Amino acid sequence: MSNHAEQSDMRLHLKIWRQPDADSPGKFVSFEKEKVSPDMSFLEMLDELNEGLIKAGEDPVAFDSDCREGICGMCGLVINGQAHGPRRSTTTCQLHMREFKDGDTITIEPWRAKAFPVIKDLVVDRSAFDRIIQAGGYISVNTGNAQDANAIPIPKRNADEAMDAASCIGCGACVAACPNASATLFTSAKISQFALLPQGQVERKERAIQMVSQMDFEGFGDCSNYGECEAACPKDISISHIARMKREYVKAALTTA
Amino acid sequence: MLPFLTAAKSSVGKKYLMALTGLFWVLFLIIHLAGNLVLLSGHSDAYNKYSHFLLSLGELLYVLEFILLAFILLHIYSGITVAIGKLRARPQSYKVQKNLGGASRKTVSATTMIYSGLLLFIFLVVHISHFKYQVGVNGDYTTVIGGVEMHDFYRLVYDSFSYGWYVLFYEVIMILVFSHLRHGFWSGFQSLGVNHPRWSPFIDGLGIVIAVVVGFGFLVIPLYIYFIGGA
Amino acid sequence: MTLDAKIPEGPIQEKWDNHRFHMKLVNPANKRKHTIIVVGTGLAGASVAASLGELGYNVKNFCIQDSPRRAHSIAAQGGINAAKNYPNDGDSIWRLFYDTVKGGDYRSREANVYRLAQVSNDIIDQCVAQGIPFARDYGGLLANRSFGGAQVSRTFYARGQTGQQLLLGAYSALSRQIKAKKVEMFNRHEMLDLVVIDGKARGIVTRNLINGKIESHAADAVLLATGGYGNVYYLSTNAVNSNATAVWRAHKRGAYFANPCFVQIHPTCIPVTGDHQSKLTLMSESLRNDGRVWVPKAKGDKRHPNEIPEAERDYYLERRYPAFGNLVPRDIASRAAKQVCDEGRGVGKTGLAVYLDFADAIQRLGRKAVEEKYGNLFDMYERITDENPYEVPMRIFPAIHYTMGGLWVDYNLQSTIPGLFVLGEANFSDHGANRLGASALMQGLADGYYVAPYTVGNYIGSNKFEPVTTDHPAFKESEKTVAESIQKLLSINGKKTAHELNRELGLILWEYVGMGRNETGLKKALEEIPKLRQEFWENLKVAGSGETLNQNLEEAGRLADYLELAELMARDALNRNESCGGHFREESATPEGEARRNDEEYTYVAAWEYKGKDQVQALHKEHLTFEHVPLTQRSYK
Repeated sequence: MSNHAEQSDMRLHLKIWRQPDADSPGKFVSFEKEKVSPDMSFLEMLDELNEGLIKAGEDPVAFDSDCREGICGMCGLVINGQAHGPRRSTTTCQLHMREFKDGDTITIEPWRAKAFPVIKDLVVDRSAFDRIIQAGGYISVNTGNAQDANAIPIPKRNADEAMDAASCIGCGACVAACPNASATLFTSAKISQFALLPQGQVERKERAIQMVSQMDFEGFGDCSNYGECEAACPKDISISHIARMKREYVKAALTTA
Repeated sequence: MLPFLTAAKSSVGKKYLMALTGLFWVLFLIIHLAGNLVLLSGHSDAYNKYSHFLLSLGELLYVLEFILLAFILLHIYSGITVAIGKLRARPQSYKVQKNLGGASRKTVSATTMIYSGLLLFIFLVVHISHFKYQVGVNGDYTTVIGGVEMHDFYRLVYDSFSYGWYVLFYEVIMILVFSHLRHGFWSGFQSLGVNHPRWSPFIDGLGIVIAVVVGFGFLVIPLYIYFIGGA
Repeated sequence: MTLDAKIPEGPIQEKWDNHRFHMKLVNPANKRKHTIIVVGTGLAGASVAASLGELGYNVKNFCIQDSPRRAHSIAAQGGINAAKNYPNDGDSIWRLFYDTVKGGDYRSREANVYRLAQVSNDIIDQCVAQGIPFARDYGGLLANRSFGGAQVSRTFYARGQTGQQLLLGAYSALSRQIKAKKVEMFNRHEMLDLVVIDGKARGIVTRNLINGKIESHAADAVLLATGGYGNVYYLSTNAVNSNATAVWRAHKRGAYFANPCFVQIHPTCIPVTGDHQSKLTLMSESLRNDGRVWVPKAKGDKRHPNEIPEAERDYYLERRYPAFGNLVPRDIASRAAKQVCDEGRGVGKTGLAVYLDFADAIQRLGRKAVEEKYGNLFDMYERITDENPYEVPMRIFPAIHYTMGGLWVDYNLQSTIPGLFVLGEANFSDHGANRLGASALMQGLADGYYVAPYTVGNYIGSNKFEPVTTDHPAFKESEKTVAESIQKLLSINGKKTAHELNRELGLILWEYVGMGRNETGLKKALEEIPKLRQEFWENLKVAGSGETLNQNLEEAGRLADYLELAELMARDALNRNESCGGHFREESATPEGEARRNDEEYTYVAAWEYKGKDQVQALHKEHLTFEHVPLTQRSYK
């Protein structure tokens, strides 16, 4: 029935980045975790580790998570050098321990980027993403200001491609996985979504310029077309959106009065 | 209006310029290779006449040379800022970092672009001072063909590649050329915003073909001269 | 205090228009002189914060997550209802209204529900204008599907991620107002108290979750859009940080809590695998459009599902409810699953699951069509369970999903505290005793985009506001209380973690205030919960300090509130000796075991007033009248 052979409980060596707060230096701390069920999610494994730490009166390992069903984008750990761990198209919260073997050593690090400063342990501040959206990741339509929803037909293909881009959950795995710590995939997904839709046309040029400027301002790296972002993206967002963003930007830069 | 310089310095503009200049150089390399394949023909006159024709272009040549020089400087500038930006954007590096596979295009070529690029630039300086300005070249390399006196580049090339170490130096560099183009070609198109479900696979394939042809084309010439041509 | 729902005069179709016409307006130049606090950034919170910002008010918006985009509305999969009638299949505002009142088992307020149906169409227009990529047909027009037992196709959707897309739409509108400096955003801030001055809500006290600082914020009105309290059960489909603290602390400051026992249990969730389980994952109800629910006919049949022949399978929903089959409303599907499992016919390791089988659909439509419709859900199922639902039937089991109960609000969404408005799942208003599928998104956005911006304006326009700053003694008193309770949690230094105690609370509630409830069980719960609460205050262990990010401390604070809320839920369930919607009292059933409402005695909203620590809340009743949708027993046979 199951894709994997029946696994029994595992024992794991964890090396976890601990950092008390943004200003203090961090270091790796080792833990032994026993009785890890293959049916646990990765975060449930950390929950259990924390239960033990709390009982021992030690500070539990801080990590972000919320929906635990792969959509809110709040969780995100670099597990053995891979953003969101070894399984493709999967957020950390949906990664299950059956991906690991008894006796494995697992190194757990936070997203590392200057634009994502560590708040504590594995928790980082991703408000740079919010500011990129604030720079232009919207269509300026006040509440009540809309025409009938079916007034403008949109070719299904465009709507579908816009949806591909819109499925971004803003987790930041693209930045974490990029050797340059670039936020290009994130930024391009929003620019691309709106460039594909008729509603997005009015502010199209301004949006591309403003969002790219904000992205650069936040201190992310440049895009070297490594494609690691797409590989790490839990929603499989394609770098074709990056290409669209580049066209949008250059068109805007050359034609804006 | 967005000032040109601001746009050019943005993350998109920077890579756009890198792509344009890089792809222009690829075009140059293809022409350069086509010309140099004449070396393999064994006809010294043909090669010298071809070189002489290029040199006689006069002002047009200066313009071309200026464009090539300006482009490569822009290309390098852009490359170096990307490399520095990378260090700035991630001051604390990962203890473990693995490729993700799948859609990743993080090849060895891709991660070593800055190194292969800088080495290629050093090579370029050596290459031009040696063959164009003949720095450190002893002896008289002129010849007369059809009553016209011209440089005997053919002999200069053949003499230069009679040294094993010099051939080896070129071979190493040409592998770097291959590597640089392996990532550079498709990446250039991506940076220009060319990505299409129908055409991208073709561009990717063409990139590999060009990297192989240019890299190995240039690689074959010194080997041929050293082992066969010089004999 | 008598509960006045403030339902406007006039025929039901004109109530909202009449009401809006009679509202006091606030001069555009004066709007910027008023500060409004919005707590929560889900569909209701983000949409109201953005809309109020657009109108010109100064808005302060708070969320506990690192970004407003994380709110749990994001996880809604299936879709959003609207009475557009694009498919020309007989839908109308009236029908959506009718279905919602009936689906809520006649425990909601007709006027509210009618308004909800009225504005549902505007929501779709607004969302499309925001660039939300809803599913479309090849002609480029919006696609609809039938959802959750509705007999018309009125559900708009964006793949299986409708909540995400709608939330990101509201988030983008909010982002635009943040950029315009009309909304000031406070991420990673948790509201820990409501400040009431001269009988009006005038501010909140928050804890900065990064550095533990207790901060006060003053305003002219406070809007709570903090979601439901499903996590009181420990395991639910809610996000792990979803909590009832904001509404509960408002309750303790005087806001009545309505119908706390009305909890929706969703029939199609992935079953529990063990004690480590931290949450339950929903599989969209849309799966029931094509999947067939069954269990083996024989008890304890442990054969592989594909080896059980057709004749030995019991498609119990199709058998019991031939008219609706697998599409019966959520409460009925959930209870039926519990019954077959109680009979010992449950499947899987734990016996607490039923099959949802797509073999027929794959045969009828082809694997590709099924993949197109449900591919992302199937992938998610496989990621979690390691089983391939294209080949093996899914295993599903009911799980706590949504809470219809919440703070009592009148027609204006104002609670019993003037100036305190409650929106979305946090209020009790529109779903009665059972929410229909794809209606939560509709209600959240209706409240946020179209109702509260008017009614809050009316409140601002018709009241005079004495200037209040955070130096007011009421803020200081509140800050002190909050700081002390945090200190208390940190100083108990017992032996049990908040996780463990929450799990124990969840087990009590699931057992006695879960899918089936009876007097004995509820009385037992009313004994057990206070005992557990006592244990909590004596034996809790919280590690770390209050001055840094401390998720363990946050959890403990939320549990302290759940332990009080849980008791009220049991009390409310005990009081309501009838079966309606998600509330099934075993004493009130037909001979066939179907739910039986008692309209004579219980056609009211039970609104509970806080009476002080360890005091029993006082019950107030808002009687409901049904003029347009005649009271009938729901039947899906």
